[in-house]
Amino acid sequence: MPILTRGAFAQADTAKMYKTGSWRIQKPYHQHFSAPCHNACLAGEDAQAWLAYFSEGHIQKAWETLVSVNPLPGVSGRVCHHPCETACNRGQYDEALAIHHIERYLGEQAIQHGWNYPLLSQTRHVEKIAIIGAGPAGLSAAYHLKQRGYKVDIFDNLPVAGGLLQIALPPYRLPRNALQAEIERILALGIDFQAQKQLGRDFSLEELHPQYAAIFLAIGRQNSREWQVDGVIPHHLQNGLDMLKEWIALGKLDIPDRLAVIGGGNTAIDLARILRRAGAKEVHLITHQAHPDSSENDMMNAIPREIIQAEEEGVQLHTQRGIQRLLLRGEQVIGVEMTRMQTMQHADGRSERVSFRGTETVLHVDQVVPAIGQQLDLKALEHLSTTVEGMPVTVHGQTDQPHIFAGGDMCLRSSGTVSGAIGDGYRAAIAIHHTLQNTPLPHPTQTTTITVEQLNLHYYESSPRLHTATLTVEERCKNDASAEVETGFNDEQAKKEATRCLSCGNCMACDNCWTFCPDSAILKTQENASNSSHYVFDYDYCKGCGLCKTECPCGFIIMQDEA
Amino acid sequence: MTEVSIPIEQLRQQQPRYQGISPGHRACLGCGQALAARLVTEASGPDIMIANATGCLEIFTTPWPESAWKVPWMHSLFENTGAIASGIEAALKAQGKSSKVIAMGGDGGTFDIGFQALSGMLERDHNILYICYDNEAYMNTGVQRSGSTPHAAMTNTSPPGKARMGKRHLKKDIISIIASHHIPYAATASVAYPSDIRKKVRRAMHIEGPTFLQIHAPCPLGWGHDGSQSIAIARLAVETGLFPVIELERGALANVMPIRNIQPVTAYLKAQQRFRHLFKKADQRVKEELAHLQALADHNIEVYGLQSDHTDKLDTRGAALVHRRGKHWA
Ligand SMILES: Cc1cc2nc3c(=O)[nH]c(=O)nc-3n(C[C@H](O)[C@H](O)[C@H](O)COP(=O)(O)OP(=O)(O)OC[C@H]3O[C@@H](n4cnc5c(N)ncnc54)[C@H](O)[C@@H]3O)c2cc1C
Ligand SMILES: Cc1ncc(C[n+]2csc(CCOP(=O)(O)OP(=O)(O)O)c2C)c(N)n1
Ligand code: SF4
Ligand code: SF4
Ligand code: SF4
Ligand code: SF4
Ligand SMILES: [Mg+2]
Repeated sequence: MPILTRGAFAQADTAKMYKTGSWRIQKPYHQHFSAPCHNACLAGEDAQAWLAYFSEGHIQKAWETLVSVNPLPGVSGRVCHHPCETACNRGQYDEALAIHHIERYLGEQAIQHGWNYPLLSQTRHVEKIAIIGAGPAGLSAAYHLKQRGYKVDIFDNLPVAGGLLQIALPPYRLPRNALQAEIERILALGIDFQAQKQLGRDFSLEELHPQYAAIFLAIGRQNSREWQVDGVIPHHLQNGLDMLKEWIALGKLDIPDRLAVIGGGNTAIDLARILRRAGAKEVHLITHQAHPDSSENDMMNAIPREIIQAEEEGVQLHTQRGIQRLLLRGEQVIGVEMTRMQTMQHADGRSERVSFRGTETVLHVDQVVPAIGQQLDLKALEHLSTTVEGMPVTVHGQTDQPHIFAGGDMCLRSSGTVSGAIGDGYRAAIAIHHTLQNTPLPHPTQTTTITVEQLNLHYYESSPRLHTATLTVEERCKNDASAEVETGFNDEQAKKEATRCLSCGNCMACDNCWTFCPDSAILKTQENASNSSHYVFDYDYCKGCGLCKTECPCGFIIMQDEA
Repeated sequence: MTEVSIPIEQLRQQQPRYQGISPGHRACLGCGQALAARLVTEASGPDIMIANATGCLEIFTTPWPESAWKVPWMHSLFENTGAIASGIEAALKAQGKSSKVIAMGGDGGTFDIGFQALSGMLERDHNILYICYDNEAYMNTGVQRSGSTPHAAMTNTSPPGKARMGKRHLKKDIISIIASHHIPYAATASVAYPSDIRKKVRRAMHIEGPTFLQIHAPCPLGWGHDGSQSIAIARLAVETGLFPVIELERGALANVMPIRNIQPVTAYLKAQQRFRHLFKKADQRVKEELAHLQALADHNIEVYGLQSDHTDKLDTRGAALVHRRGKHWA
């Protein structure tokens, strides 16, 4: 230090010798919180992460980040009920981000440009894995195991892969070229798809075991739940899912003028919509569940958007109605007798369906089609503990046999959704990998989700969610019955919508902290710092005022007491 | 724990923006003035000479024998910054040098004791940018009222009690007085809007002649708020209309920062201990004082036309918006 006399001058820039960090009683840290969209996604996607790449213009990198978890974005972007958007923090500010539309856009871009899946691991393992069932659960598990270096064979009793996506989801909301392209890209990784091989008929689990180190079961639910009316099961009625499959396979159906579909799930709604497309004059949908517009607890399981579109197409909804009996003329159905119903909650939490006497009405229809859900086919599963209501498994799909895993619709804990099936495949693949490598399974850590209160909303502009066009009812029903109802985003819309993301819980490199720190104690890095932010705290000088924390829009900075 | 692969001191040398003040200064936690002064140097660049009146900034940047300044800097007295700066400017001119002279003072040094020297400096048409860091009291000597202290604020020399509710008088309308000197450019700004400060400093740097910038800079110690709230409070001062952000050219109003969502003055007052006597009990005196303060804000909004008509993208809300990779900063 230069020796200075009184009244002289100080050397420039020498105050740095004094470390004001010693004043600090609270210390700022960067803390990545999980965004609500991430925690809500059943497939396990971190939308915040891929939206960040997207809004910076790195479209392919965004897709690669997305497909490192979910290999079927073109599918989920269209058919998922998107709980991510229900959870989106932006929903509490103005309107939730249209995450599924951007997801779908990325799926389309990848197909258009022929992008290949990113290589996730260089390691190769000797073990072979058998996957039974090529629905979304099986495909997802196959993808993740292949990506982790395993040899994978998929067995399915159908001639094509895709499961319900292929045979039951109507093309007006899942165009087959998009589906086909994504399935083919997975199989092209070098996965052996063994078509028309049925477990229980062509092979047994015991026969597979010596060749395959692990087995992943994803056979969905093959048996239709039996519908009872007035104490009897009307066996002569044609089942809803079968009719749906028939229409998808053949493009036509032999049906009378007036039909009633029983059920409130996706199958019932899709069936009702294809019946309208197949020329039915009157299509009624009868369900004991409530309309999504109501405030009742027991709401229809179908996706609200699909219910609205069904109504637009002329499907007549009879919600909170039960069927007392079928009206018959000889063997021929001529109508149903309905009553009003409600699901009542008891004080102990039990719920019960109550029908109200004196509210009976008669509805004249020529055919009644039950579509009330599916059950597990127990054939070929004898050695595993399960019931028709689903196989009990852990979060990671572990069954009571160490080398057998299961996921998707067939499991008791299944959400009965595509994204749930994709996530099950992903989590089971991780579990299989750890089991085979004898490494401990990572704990399903409950990451803290960032709430809207932790963000500084002052820094965001209010802007409405972007909407896309849907086909008119004429275009949907009169012209091409397979035409996709919802249009996707164009480049500009996708880009604009992505920039609406608040980047909850993760740094967006906005420079607020760097600009506002009165002590210049935050430094910017070109490279990433070890915590993925682009900033570092200089604790030599940080006084711990907490200003950076208050002014961080994303809630990425926390203050902790000095030890 | 954050780690980078290069030594932190080296990283500091590579920062993409010039700063004329380094850390190590002794300002309180969350000091608005420390931030404001640094922002000024970010826009002025290194080719400047500073004359700095006695006050917090002078004290906390130069603890003997150190200095946090990276630019030529001279301490004047509390009362004569305008005169010292005038002398430096004249000397530079005589030597044919072009460095810009910047005078800096607190509100005490500007509104009150240094006012005569400042007025002379403006009148003599010196090529100087004068910056007043307005923290609305004599902070460095322990929070005494100044001509800038707002009406009803508590300081050690304007205590609330039976006779009166904090400062009896009004905040001096310094910007109008300065503008009346008919100088080319006079403006106000707030630490809540760094880009705005930097733009105004750049504008003033390019003007040959006297210019003046008043920067509203919260003082956690004197205002009685947590240092983490300095920006939020500064922003509320603007959004209530209590601190109008304006530009005057040759004395005439040239531009204002319109307020998108006008906030009630209570939102601003409540956040600070210096106004706590207005929230203790709601008697008639309190009601009147609050109504008075609201009327002062409404008056500002009216005379300066501060209500946003949503045509100016850089209104109080638009000017705050963030973007990925900091693309928005001026
Ligand atoms: C009409 C309809 C509409 C739907 N709409 C939506 C929607 O909009 N959004 C949504 O998220 N979900 C929807 N779902 C649910 C979704 O389709 C399922 O949750 C999902 O397909 C389950 O995937 P999975 O892989 O578990 O089973 P599946 O898709 O059922 O696939 C199981 C596969 O296993 C094969 N298999 C079965 N048994 C055997 C055997 N013994 N040997 C070999 N192979 C076998 C089958 O052939 C099939 O390929 C809908 C379902 C239906 C029926
Ligand atoms: C002639 C004179 N009177 C009083 C003082 C004591 N003094 C030093 S700084 C100061 C107050 C400074 O207030 P302000 O200019 O508002 O700056 P702040 O500290 O608030 O930033 C006073 C009264 C002095 N230095 N010289
Ligand atoms: S704003 Fe972005 S990060 Fe936050 S929940 Fe919504 S999509 Fe996720
Ligand atoms: S603003 Fe600066 S001094 Fe204050 S806590 Fe953050 S890094 Fe530390
Ligand atoms: S203030 Fe901005 S740059 Fe700083 S940590 Fe938060 S998001 Fe990142
Ligand atoms: S007293 Fe106020 S103006 Fe002075 S250093 Fe502290 S916070 Fe800053
Ligand atoms: Mg002051």
